[in-house]
Amino acid sequence: MGAGAKPAPFFFMAEALLLAQGITKVYPDGTVALTGVDFEVQPGEVHGLLGENGAGKSTLTKIISGLLPPTAGRIFWKGKPVRFSSPREALRAGIGMVHQHFALVGPFTGLENIALGAEGGGLLFPVRAEAIRRRVEELMAASGLQAPLNVPVEELPVGVQQRIEILKMLFRDVDLLILDEPTAVLTPQEVDELFPILRRLAQQGKSVVFITHKLREILAVTDRVTVLRRGRVVAVRKTAETTVEELAQLMVGETMVAQAQRSRRPPGEVVLRVRDLRVLGPEGRPAVDGVSFEVRAGEIFAIAGVQGNGQSELVEALVGLRPWTGEAELLGQSLRGKSPAQLSALGVAHIPEDRHALGLILEFSVAENAVLGRLAPFLNPVGGVRWGRVQRFAQDLLVRFSVQARGVRAPARSLSGGNQQKLLVGRELSKSPKLLIANQPTRGLDVAATRYIRDLLLRLRDEGLAILLVSADLDEIFELADRVAVMYRGTFTGILPAEELDRERIGLLMGGVAAEGARE
Amino acid sequence: MRAILESLLALALGVLVGAAVMAAWGRDPWGAYAALFTGALGNVRALASTLSRSLPLVLTGLTFAVGARAGLFNIGAQGQMLLGAVVALSCGLLSLPPGWHLLVALALSALAGALWALPVALLKLTRGVSEVISTIMLNWVAHWLTLYLVVQKLSDRVVGQRTFTVPMGMRFPVLQGELTWSWTVSVGMALFLFWFLWYHRQGYEVRAAGLNPRAARAAGISVSRAMVLALLLGGVSAAWAGAIQVLGRFPYAITSDLANLGNLGFDGIAVALIGRNHPLGILGGAFFFGVLATGAARMGLRGIPLEMIQIVQGVIVVAMAAPEALRLLRRLRARQKEVVPA
Amino acid sequence: MNALLQVFPVALRAMVPITLAAVGEVFGEWAGVVNIGLEGIMTLSAFLAAVVSWATGSPFLGILAGLATGALVGLFHGFISVRLRGNQIISGVGINLLGMGAVGFGTWALWGAKAPMLDRRFWIPEVPGLGVSPFVFLTPALALLTWWLLFRTALGLRVRAVGENPMSADVVGVPVERLRLFAVVYGGALGGLAGAFLSLDWLHTVSATLPAGRGFIALANVVFSKLNPLLALLGGFLFGYFDALGIQLASVAGLSGAVPYQFIRMIPYVATLLVVALAIGRARFPKALGQPYRRE
Repeated sequence: MGAGAKPAPFFFMAEALLLAQGITKVYPDGTVALTGVDFEVQPGEVHGLLGENGAGKSTLTKIISGLLPPTAGRIFWKGKPVRFSSPREALRAGIGMVHQHFALVGPFTGLENIALGAEGGGLLFPVRAEAIRRRVEELMAASGLQAPLNVPVEELPVGVQQRIEILKMLFRDVDLLILDEPTAVLTPQEVDELFPILRRLAQQGKSVVFITHKLREILAVTDRVTVLRRGRVVAVRKTAETTVEELAQLMVGETMVAQAQRSRRPPGEVVLRVRDLRVLGPEGRPAVDGVSFEVRAGEIFAIAGVQGNGQSELVEALVGLRPWTGEAELLGQSLRGKSPAQLSALGVAHIPEDRHALGLILEFSVAENAVLGRLAPFLNPVGGVRWGRVQRFAQDLLVRFSVQARGVRAPARSLSGGNQQKLLVGRELSKSPKLLIANQPTRGLDVAATRYIRDLLLRLRDEGLAILLVSADLDEIFELADRVAVMYRGTFTGILPAEELDRERIGLLMGGVAAEGARE
Repeated sequence: MRAILESLLALALGVLVGAAVMAAWGRDPWGAYAALFTGALGNVRALASTLSRSLPLVLTGLTFAVGARAGLFNIGAQGQMLLGAVVALSCGLLSLPPGWHLLVALALSALAGALWALPVALLKLTRGVSEVISTIMLNWVAHWLTLYLVVQKLSDRVVGQRTFTVPMGMRFPVLQGELTWSWTVSVGMALFLFWFLWYHRQGYEVRAAGLNPRAARAAGISVSRAMVLALLLGGVSAAWAGAIQVLGRFPYAITSDLANLGNLGFDGIAVALIGRNHPLGILGGAFFFGVLATGAARMGLRGIPLEMIQIVQGVIVVAMAAPEALRLLRRLRARQKEVVPA
Repeated sequence: MNALLQVFPVALRAMVPITLAAVGEVFGEWAGVVNIGLEGIMTLSAFLAAVVSWATGSPFLGILAGLATGALVGLFHGFISVRLRGNQIISGVGINLLGMGAVGFGTWALWGAKAPMLDRRFWIPEVPGLGVSPFVFLTPALALLTWWLLFRTALGLRVRAVGENPMSADVVGVPVERLRLFAVVYGGALGGLAGAFLSLDWLHTVSATLPAGRGFIALANVVFSKLNPLLALLGGFLFGYFDALGIQLASVAGLSGAVPYQFIRMIPYVATLLVVALAIGRARFPKALGQPYRRE
């Protein structure tokens, strides 16, 4: 898995397939997403677009693919200036984008998804299924991408859905394929299968823009890489001429520190004990198929794994949002059949993976959110809310957790993602929990907020809290966990202490290969 | 605040469209509107009449609003109002001391409204039936049930066109002209619901459930209970609208075609939308519609039917469906300035 | 018992508006737009169809007028819902109010108080030899046509995509807004046809409450049909039967003595409630139903 095998192409502007100059994007609410970005892609190359969350990678590619208009700047495609006012125009010109959240119609089959918009005949005619199928099968052979075409895509694993998305673009003869964080949903093995396909496409003359924040992937598959930081281009490098350390420094602007910090104290009593937990999924098949584990006070027990293997369902079960069977006890008290309110009273705190859907009510003020789920201490005998007390409490939270907000009356919507998450965490911790369940706690946050949350979790652990961490981010797992369980298709393929971990082993476990000598 | 501006714009649009229709029909719209306003506000008697007509609208508006706060579309105020009216009236058959008579009537009327709202809640929670469908069906059932009671069981033996009149001990005392002390019910309910929604724990839960049911559930709030509560409160409010229309306003009876109960339930929807589903805004909105209703009687003298009011209402409601349209226009103009040539 | 059998010819007529409006709404909801203003559309188009038929002497032109009215109101609702990204339910409520008000005003303007019965000249002629309205055949044909459009053509594929995941359609170049507008106009047109049928072919009069809730019964039919136009046809027969029962029984001398007239009139509404309450299984509605699409 080395960098691109072809020699580096020349850099004449006239030869560029795509040239974007001075792209600036300012959103209507004033957020500046991009400033003066120059971006250039050669034909037949795999070009990486590197940056952390919020650097502007998605925005740039959305502009290139016609989904968003730029505020300023020009784009040249195959030498001519262009202005795409819709994804359709970009697609017709030969630019296709596969988004992070797939643009697939769930109940449609793979064939129907590929055919949509290119059905092969007039609107009132049936879809030309046979002709389309033949062509798609040709494409599958040429590219190496295999996918079933007759199954509703929502029933397919995410990795296969992605292949259908790519086939959709190839079917339309794109010359430039943009992939937005394609490996976020793949196991390491599936990633290994994807990369040769991308190289093959490049060899066939197509270009691929590969968006990621993972340094190893840049080195593995790209010819060149453009690094974005806070909406600006900080560097363009030939992949063969750079290193992980240099890229990391460019991406973050400082040397990243990612050392695991082991706890000094041995873990205490067992706080959460789970035995043979089972949760049913949508079609009656088990999403969680019998997991057993323990979380002790003063330890961070992490569940790693690619999303979609049952982690969400497991967490929802433990916080009372889903029915489950099996055993689960918190300090000896059974959690069976308890509602979220009861679990909260017992001492279970929850940082949900989607703070907008589950954690906060955006239209409520900071103060109203600060007491969501914990109003009892602020009520008078009649049930009226003592808002004065609530506001003082909320103000206190803002200070203790360094939350930047216009005030406790400001709507939660007005806070940045990182501050919303800090508010959420502060609120949960104010319940003096015995167990904290943190589900993807730093997803979508900028570096400062991520650092804050991770330091906070470590400090809480050292103070004796039992923490169950669920994360798809291996860096986070390595940095925080004392013990790691890897979840694959609803079960744990292995539970390992942090010292015995390395990326390869975790990758295998994530891919379903059970560890030898792993505990049950 | 932007919300007030949007509401005023919607009102203005409704008034304009009404004027256009009248003009198209060869009537002088501005003269008509002038007559409307003087007829509604010109003197103390008119003002009393306007206020009296606004009172039930406050209550039916609150019905829709409290449901909306819980994330529901409760358009069942009409049926709940009819039953509340007929049950209140039926208490006239009982023999009770004055004063108590009125209170018992209000209590039973509230019960009727809540009971009529209950099936909506149950159907939604147990069978997932949309409240839009169930409330309309129940409205029609209530309509026919009320007609039956009014025509067959409660009619006045002497005067054919209506039910018997409410006994004196069951009426609200008169305050001024058409206005009676029934205003305490409307204003009281508005103040109560305002306090409830923003200062009581259950009201907080109702608002949370309406804004983000998933987050509310994760926080331990029972979304089902919030919905039921909102629907029951709405039922009580609507029932009292009917009750005060019968017990607090001439003719202190129900006419055989249900005309004096009119469309109070549906009118409440427009009132709630204009009032942005906020009890204090609803007081204002109800007053506006009271003006329209009183003035309409005056307009009728100039040859314009009451249905004009419904057209105005319809325009207002449609305008409130897209209050951001105003914002969109502003944004369109901004975008034209921001575009940079290639 | 005889009375129950005598209901069938009326039930055939009652089936028409409930099916047509439901089939149209099914098409619209597949595209992701919900229109609860069917009642208002039916009211308005019934009125205009009657007026045009009366004014021109041609019931056929009346039908066209009803169709056009429904389509235009659908376009209006579509403009608010799709273009302005407004709240679709509130828009529908407003349309219902507007329909009532406009027809009330119009009735008063033309006839002073209550509208008269429409003279036979302006009715839809029956199919010769069968003694039944042509709509009884038109309705299943339109249901079948809608089914075919939705599930056997490229257009239908696009419509369903737009309702389930509009971004997926946008990315491949399917015009989301235009398609949604088309779908809601289609639905409105069928609703307009239903209204025209009411005034010209069945009840032979106009009033602000002519549909008497049938627009909402059609919505219940949409739920019952699980968005399948053919099931909507079946449901139309079911709901139509109860509708007819209410009408027919009320006029049967012997029965209205035992059970009061008003209770018989309640039958269609109670039946509708029971049907939706007992309907087995939940339909899977398009994920983007009722949500305006914004490119972001």
